[in-house]
Amino acid sequence: MMLARVADSLYWIGRYVERAEHMCRLADVLLNATLDRTESSGQVARMVISAVSDGEHPEDVSPWDAAMAITMESGDSDSVTAALARARENARQVRDQLTTETWERLNLIYLRVTGPRANREFSDAPSQFLHDIIADLHLFKGAADATMSHGEGWGFLQLGVFIERAQLTGRLLQAGFGRSLGRPVTEHAAMTALLRMSCALEPYLRKHTADIQPRLIRQFLMFDEDFPRSLRFATARIEEHLSGVGRNVDLGGAAGPERLAGRLKARLLYAEAETLTGEDSDLLVATVLEECARLHAGIYDTFVAYSLEMRLPA
Amino acid sequence: MRYALAETTPIAGATAPGPAPYDEMIDPDGDVRPHYAALARRVASLSDEDLAERQRLLERFFLLQGITFTVYGAESSTERIIPTDLLPRIIPAGEWATIEAGLVQRLRALNMFLADIYSDQKILMDGVVPRELVLGAPSYRREMQNLFVPHQAYANVCGSDLIRKPDGGFAVLEDNLRVPSGVSYMLANREAAKRTFPGSFRMAGVRRIEQYPDLLLSTLRSMAADWRPNPQVVVLTPGVYNSAYFEHAYLARLMGVPLVEGRDLVTHDNMVYMRTTTGLRRVDVIYRRVDDDFIDPLTFRRDSSLGVAGLFNAYRGGNVVICNAPGTGVADDKAVYAYVPEIISYYLGEDAILPNIETFLCREPSQLSHVLANLDKLVVKAVGASGGYGMLIGPHASRAERESFADALRADPENYIAQPTIQLSTAPCLIDGAIDPRHVDLRPFILSGDKIRVTPGALTRVALKKGSLVVNSSQGGGSKDTWVLGETEAGEAGA
Repeated sequence: MMLARVADSLYWIGRYVERAEHMCRLADVLLNATLDRTESSGQVARMVISAVSDGEHPEDVSPWDAAMAITMESGDSDSVTAALARARENARQVRDQLTTETWERLNLIYLRVTGPRANREFSDAPSQFLHDIIADLHLFKGAADATMSHGEGWGFLQLGVFIERAQLTGRLLQAGFGRSLGRPVTEHAAMTALLRMSCALEPYLRKHTADIQPRLIRQFLMFDEDFPRSLRFATARIEEHLSGVGRNVDLGGAAGPERLAGRLKARLLYAEAETLTGEDSDLLVATVLEECARLHAGIYDTFVAYSLEMRLPA
Repeated sequence: MRYALAETTPIAGATAPGPAPYDEMIDPDGDVRPHYAALARRVASLSDEDLAERQRLLERFFLLQGITFTVYGAESSTERIIPTDLLPRIIPAGEWATIEAGLVQRLRALNMFLADIYSDQKILMDGVVPRELVLGAPSYRREMQNLFVPHQAYANVCGSDLIRKPDGGFAVLEDNLRVPSGVSYMLANREAAKRTFPGSFRMAGVRRIEQYPDLLLSTLRSMAADWRPNPQVVVLTPGVYNSAYFEHAYLARLMGVPLVEGRDLVTHDNMVYMRTTTGLRRVDVIYRRVDDDFIDPLTFRRDSSLGVAGLFNAYRGGNVVICNAPGTGVADDKAVYAYVPEIISYYLGEDAILPNIETFLCREPSQLSHVLANLDKLVVKAVGASGGYGMLIGPHASRAERESFADALRADPENYIAQPTIQLSTAPCLIDGAIDPRHVDLRPFILSGDKIRVTPGALTRVALKKGSLVVNSSQGGGSKDTWVLGETEAGEAGA
């Protein structure tokens, strides 16, 4: 049993923390790519920009400015600092639900990225700055895992993490291979950059050796069973946590979001991964993104903003 | 230790400087008081850098915990910690015993007073307290009349402001029976002090205060109806933008109960429920940190969005308990304050253990003329106001200010009281790297439910500005840890 508002906040903390980590990696890969003056750096820049912007493609932005905007710009934009500020604001609203260890980690990151020295630290050594945030976010996740009860609250936190993660990986796949964008990545350097952005380079190499091919990358990011950022892995966790938190909800016979989650998990679990054409892959990724959006709405309607008439005590 | 007593600052305009303030650490002969000896030796053994390092450690602890308030600027907002002083204030066991007995006595009498004025009003009929003073007070809640309150415990949480007078005795400056705050700072200061002075802390034999959340929870539980076997307690906060939000979350976390906002609660059939992920769940006791006016838009202020519509009716129906009870403010009213010694002797037949500060009620013609004749020596306060508003500090005011205030006094004397300017005691504080005396007060916390309990500790508020007597955090005040020593006067033993 937990307050509906609290569950909602925990869910959003999960989403924002995952988003912040992802954006850090994007910015870091982007800055790295600019070090080479090759065609691939152009591909990387296009990929990152299309992964973070919804449809708009401002072509005239320099990679440095783009990385700066991804990291530091605050306000309404989707930046690392904005995501961290919102995660922390949500954490403050449910401060009583987080352990002190967990709260301290998140608060520390927030104080660092919004502190008076943050802009200079980023300008002086952007890679170090981004690396430190990622490391601190891992500490946050580790502290949460080690100190919070793995009950309902944990379930909502993890739901946020994995729905966000499935969407981010999906969008990255679209940016890298989507037909609609017309320019799928082919350069070796751009493909490794794509793997780096999803933190998948080392796990990929261990599975497929240094045989880097678009088809295998796509297969890995979509269907790998054990890689924590693959669509299959993320959707399996969504299903798992949703059935955990949904256990005690009486919907009076109506179908809850668990049904959506189970179906989505099955789609990835039983897909014919080896023979899937590029076009079918695009369709599947698009379906995953749509279903995640429906799950997001379904969770809100079922656990947070349900109508009172349905749940009045008998 | 480089520490000199505070000089008596002659107040401009005053005819004679008052007596020197009592210093918590040094006696008038310049010797360190025995209960401070161990700490004084420890501090003397530390270099300036050591002290500064400890101060940094302390501030980092508060920052990490998020014990901060936000300063909103034009471009960005920054988080500041509440100023906290490194050096603890120490109270020996004997003095604390008097304080504790006095606080218990006072709260017992005030609860009996509230139970009386909200039922038979015997004290008003007997003319001990003027009827119009009570019934005319804005904090008097007609809605509470004849409403059953378990154990007659109206003020479940009370934070009284004590000061130490130049003669060394403690006196009550103010009772806070509405929604007193500051207890989280008492607890956080203690947590920090254990990190900054672990050795001195252990040697001094300081009494524990960490049980406060447990005591608070059992006090709140004792207020629930006895046919509810496992009462659900919640803390009601106005929300994350409230300056005391940290405290609300802190208490909820340490009690292990939900922290709710008004929008999390609904009433149905005169019962109160909270919205959980699995549906509605009944609430039995609400420790509310929202003022009376805002708890129920149907009963009190209609424009409030912080409360719960229908809450008061559920309370009247006995289906939920609101702690503190609405309407307790009438007993900490500034004019009623003057009658507390009479209230104590009326209900308990005892003399007040902790004295009041001498108070002149301007509603009495003879006292009014005394106040008008001595405006340059007195502090005059509006009865209904708080937080330093509507107040004249005579010795600091200009002649013109005093004259315009005198007109206001004559026009509406019932609205004012006056008290002499009081020299608060001083305690050593670390100010800009040096140890210097600053004025302090003392806010202990008293719980009342099935019984009355005083936590052996307090929030010591500090006026960080030199010579200032204002300890409010909104006006440059800070706080420090307060060590109440156990029966064995261990302060002497540390070597």
